[in-house]
Amino acid sequence: MIDIDAKVLSSEVLAEGLIRIILHAPEIAKDAKPGQFIQMLVPGEAHVLRRPISLMAMDAAAGTLTLAIQPKGKGTQLICSAKEGDTIRCLGPLGTGFDGNGAETIYFVGGGVGVAPVCGAMDGFATETSHAFFGFRTKNHVYGMTQAPCAVTAVSDDGSIGEKALVTKPLMEAIEAKRPDLIMACGPTPMLRAVQKIAGELNIPCQLSLEERMGCGIGACLGCNVKVNLEDGSWTYKRVCKDGPVFDSKEVEF
Amino acid sequence: MADLSLNLCGVHLKNPLIAASGTFGFGREFDELYDISQLGGISVKGLCLGGRLGNPPSRITETASGMLNCVGLQNPGIESFIEHDLPWLLTKNVAVIANFFGTSIDSYCAAAEAFAPTGVHMLEMNISCPNVHDGGVAFGVKPEGVYEITKAVKAHSKQPLIVKLSPNVADITENALAAQEAGADAISLINTLTGIAIDVHKRKMILANNTGGLSGPAVKPVALRMVWQCAKKVSIPIIGLGGIMTGEDAAEFMLCGAQAVQVGTANFTDPYAMPRIARELDAYCDAQGVKNAQELVGTLIQY
Ligand SMILES: Cc1cc2nc3c(=O)[nH]c(=O)nc-3n(C[C@H](O)[C@H](O)[C@H](O)COP(=O)(O)OP(=O)(O)OC[C@H]3O[C@@H](n4cnc5c(N)ncnc54)[C@H](O)[C@@H]3O)c2cc1C
Ligand SMILES: Cc1cc2nc3c(=O)[nH]c(=O)nc-3n(C[C@H](O)[C@H](O)[C@H](O)COP(=O)(O)O)c2cc1C
Ligand code: FES
Repeated sequence: MIDIDAKVLSSEVLAEGLIRIILHAPEIAKDAKPGQFIQMLVPGEAHVLRRPISLMAMDAAAGTLTLAIQPKGKGTQLICSAKEGDTIRCLGPLGTGFDGNGAETIYFVGGGVGVAPVCGAMDGFATETSHAFFGFRTKNHVYGMTQAPCAVTAVSDDGSIGEKALVTKPLMEAIEAKRPDLIMACGPTPMLRAVQKIAGELNIPCQLSLEERMGCGIGACLGCNVKVNLEDGSWTYKRVCKDGPVFDSKEVEF
Repeated sequence: MADLSLNLCGVHLKNPLIAASGTFGFGREFDELYDISQLGGISVKGLCLGGRLGNPPSRITETASGMLNCVGLQNPGIESFIEHDLPWLLTKNVAVIANFFGTSIDSYCAAAEAFAPTGVHMLEMNISCPNVHDGGVAFGVKPEGVYEITKAVKAHSKQPLIVKLSPNVADITENALAAQEAGADAISLINTLTGIAIDVHKRKMILANNTGGLSGPAVKPVALRMVWQCAKKVSIPIIGLGGIMTGEDAAEFMLCGAQAVQVGTANFTDPYAMPRIARELDAYCDAQGVKNAQELVGTLIQY
């Protein structure tokens, strides 16, 4: 974990409402693991909280990090306005990411901006028998090319790419054809809830990447805590920034 | 190179910079980024006997030049802190300030007493957290309440007792005076200002607790005003805080009459904020021709 001025190598439109930024950040890239994130300082003095952004790809040899950022509010808009050659202060790598756990067949599930960390996980853990399922709003929102050797099935809300369906439909069909050893998912809460339900009912190990508003990003302020279930039936709060963002789906209480 | 050190209620601080409670945990995470023994002190996350789970999420959001939090005093308990975190913290050669709270006069006294046999250097009593319904806010509002709780807790405190004052009151100087009269060794101010944040598109509150505490640069002018007013009334040391982001911000609080300062929200904006602020304060002193930073205290030219 280190805080550095990362140089923007490129910034371009990746899909509708999504910017891809490639950063030169060798000190972070060398330790980064799939599912981890960085805390990006918003340029200008007005913003006291950093913005947590997942790593879509990391290349230790080239010293680069690839991000997919949705310019949503003021902070992410300012970050996305950075141009090639600018620097952005970044703290990372942060958090506990996905754990391949030696699984042979992994089904990856991503929705919207949540496809980004899933791409990182695919690069890290996908095998030829693995399969990724991505849900997008329309064909204009599609992104997520990876080097991973596995098949990718995309669906959309309007049927402009793939089936007009929720991503859990092809996921269920694939599970019925071949049960995976592990599921890894990131996306909107309703999607994660549906994946959690499927994994729970079929008793398939499953890891979910969560989002919560953050203060420090390093585990000190307890600002990002979410409720998690413990094995003995009780519950507690855990930190999304340090104990997560990736949690065992059995733990997660939406 | 100015001398930044000071003696605060008999405790030596290397410099006047203390990490503000709740923004720095017990120091472990920041120690991964830099050696925390560079700091004057650390006020640890607010503790109570038996611990507390805190509020449901969302607990935090940014606002204009600041932020709101409603963490709700989540902590593992004084017992757990003393066993698992304090021994490590005491190896760090930094003043350890135990920030604590209770839910009744008795539990406040018991909390203070629990630190008596430990190596904690100072106590900081939070009578002002706005984010919990039973966390002492009742004591922090009126001067009579401040007097009563300070008097009782002081009798159970072995270490110097700092009383942390709430800005959400009619006249903070009355509360400062009440704390002094009841035997407080120092006061710290300000805690957060109660506010709300709204998601206008969803027509919904952002924080699950509805209200939260405002901190960061947005509160600095209010905090400075309060420190300045209190410094004119009390003779015990004042620790100033609220929105300090730079060495010059820290100097402003000292000019108003604070011997020491605390840094909270800035740790989120810049995780290396505190060592940087120490360097900047040093440079400011040099530029001002000040050999010892304490020479700044209360020297504000006013109209
Ligand atoms: C671990 C993690 C990884 C993420 N990865 C990505 C990513 O790869 N790409 C991407 O586009 N977005 C990602 N997000 C979401 C992104 O952090 C938010 O969209 C962003 O913080 C919103 O900031 P803003 O200034 O645009 O919005 P504002 O609404 O102006 O922000 C106000 C405050 O709320 C916080 N906030 C608002 N929405 C969210 C949210 N969904 N999650 C966390 N904090 C929020 C902001 O950080 C800020 O403190 C991730 C979030 C987390 C927790
Ligand atoms: C996330 C967060 C948690 C806090 N928790 C505590 C606490 O447990 N006890 C306390 O006395 N103050 C707590 N505070 C208040 C700070 O110590 C400080 O008084 C306030 O943030 C103003 O300083 P700043 O503007 O430098 O942040 C908390 C503040 C924040 C932002
Ligand atoms: S953001 Fe501070 S503990 Fe997670």
